[in-house]
Amino acid sequence: MDEQQKRLANCFCAVFPELSGEEILHASTATVKSWDSVAVVTLLTVIEEEFGISIEEDDPAKFDSFQRILSYLQENQGKSQSPDDVG
Amino acid sequence: MKLVEALNILQSVKQRRGESFSCFLATGMNPLHLKTFLAAELSLLYLNHRIEIQPGLYGDFLGNLNRLANADTDCGIVLMEWSDLDSRLGLRTVAAWSASACIDILSNARACALQVQATIEKTCQRMPVVLCLPTLPLPPISFVPGWQASSFEMDLKALVQSVASQVSQCSQVRILSPQRADLVSPLRERLDVKSELLSGFPYKLGHASALAGLLARLMRTPAPKKGLITDLDDTLWRGILGEVGIDGISWDLDHHSQMHAFYQGLLNGLSNEGVLLAVASKNEPSLVQEVFNRKDLALSANSIFPMEVNWGPKSESVARILKTWNVGPDSVVFVDDSSLELAEVKASHPEIECVQFPTKDSAAIYELVFRLRDLFGKSSLSQEDAIRLKSIRSSHSGLPVYEAGKAAPTRFLEQIEADVSFDFNKSPLDPRALELVNKTNQFNLNGKRYTEASWYKYFLDPTSFLMLVSYKDKFGPLGKIAVVAGRRSKQLSVDMWVMSCRAFSRRIEHRCLEEMFAKFDVDEIELDYSPTDRNSPLSQFLKDILGVAPSPKCTISRRALATQSEAFRRLQETTNG
Repeated sequence: MDEQQKRLANCFCAVFPELSGEEILHASTATVKSWDSVAVVTLLTVIEEEFGISIEEDDPAKFDSFQRILSYLQENQGKSQSPDDVG
Repeated sequence: MKLVEALNILQSVKQRRGESFSCFLATGMNPLHLKTFLAAELSLLYLNHRIEIQPGLYGDFLGNLNRLANADTDCGIVLMEWSDLDSRLGLRTVAAWSASACIDILSNARACALQVQATIEKTCQRMPVVLCLPTLPLPPISFVPGWQASSFEMDLKALVQSVASQVSQCSQVRILSPQRADLVSPLRERLDVKSELLSGFPYKLGHASALAGLLARLMRTPAPKKGLITDLDDTLWRGILGEVGIDGISWDLDHHSQMHAFYQGLLNGLSNEGVLLAVASKNEPSLVQEVFNRKDLALSANSIFPMEVNWGPKSESVARILKTWNVGPDSVVFVDDSSLELAEVKASHPEIECVQFPTKDSAAIYELVFRLRDLFGKSSLSQEDAIRLKSIRSSHSGLPVYEAGKAAPTRFLEQIEADVSFDFNKSPLDPRALELVNKTNQFNLNGKRYTEASWYKYFLDPTSFLMLVSYKDKFGPLGKIAVVAGRRSKQLSVDMWVMSCRAFSRRIEHRCLEEMFAKFDVDEIELDYSPTDRNSPLSQFLKDILGVAPSPKCTISRRALATQSEAFRRLQETTNG
């Protein structure tokens, strides 16, 4: 697991504490019962806070799995900050 | 606090099985992350409680006010934003801005504000209520440019200020300080437009976190410190008295030492509020006395007791002061400009809060005064606050001190013309009673503490009783110094019994028992006793009456008390020959 994946997993862990490390990697709206509209807003806010980015996406429902969020972060890698930069 | 930290805190306290602390949050917004931050902050303040926050319904501010008025929670919060007064003041409502709309908005806002006031006044009869006035910027509805305040803006702000002013008179209402909110959360860092549109939560995370921290502290105000010990040279005044003499020290603008006068002003204020003040200074006593004769000092020598001015170690001066005050070191702040002196005192009294006075940094002194105000601040003042210093002075100025087994207690009380009075009134509950219960350690039946809500709930039981005990003698009043509370059903049960240590050695505890036997006409009183780390004086008192160490749910009989009183009477006769 690379650094970015670890940081994202920590975000998932805070919002979905009931998931194991392995379950987080495969987490999606289909597999996590508590993944509702409040959870997705909370999750995206925690991710914004962790990575120091602003997720400019009109439809947060698109972020429906760990892997899709990871892909988004990888695509926008240049815009995110390392943990040291995040205040 | 970061959101992820708040979530982790909530996860870590999920297993708590203790009592719950519940709070109804009346707001029109979706409280989303604010609720998370608030629950986390409260979890840190209430270390053993499960925290429950009831948020009401989204977009229904007025309905939520009604729900608050009927809520069965420990505390209520009214969190009002401009859009709660009229939805046209928010982002989520399509509205045609116009001069006539402004008039209509003001009219709506006035009706809403009155409802807020009525709800708070009603709810605070049952539970503490915290009010947070609008914190977000107003949208530019009025025709004036942004740098000009419109009459519309001023009228709206006057409206909410008026509500706040009215409800601030209620004893159980606390208003979040807009000034402190401005300091910890700048206005431009508050509104999150995207979040408001997306989820109905209008706050940026930093603002939500800051507000939650302040709201939590309003719900559970930290116990205020009781005493402040100050240094003199380069602290109470600028200059070293022994080197520059009385005319060489200063606290004024001319000598660029005005901030020492600012500090003096604070100390004078603290003294008037019942905070104990003492001096610990390495100095020549006669010189210090002369300084305190100066009329321009903003602090009277009468406000300070004791004055430890000598050349010995400050830790020893501090020890003598603590003994005179009879307060624990954890209730005391020591202020000195010297790091060395602070370290020396801290080494001997690790529980004392040691604060460095930043002599040559005016801005830092300004900050320090605010910090000290926070340490000593309290929600309200009582009569006892005003007489605390006087009673401590009295007890060190020739008052004959009773020592158990050596002097005659009855004669002692006659000598000092002791007058003990009892008040059984439950409605309204005197806030002094809860204050005593929650801060008394030594003469305390079981060490149990109460939240305001649990205290009020306790007395809703029709079998409950409250006995508030006041004391005065020829040296002056001690005020309300003891509380007994319990229930009268088949038998008389006492659930809490505390007495201020200032009232020890006056046999007031015996008078309390006598009064209860007489008032309730019972032969036995059951006590919910439990030993604590610090309640040995209470344990000893019970042991003297019972003849054995007290046990939980122990019972004192009228006869046992009479036997003990008789033994004292005999001792008195023997002592007096």
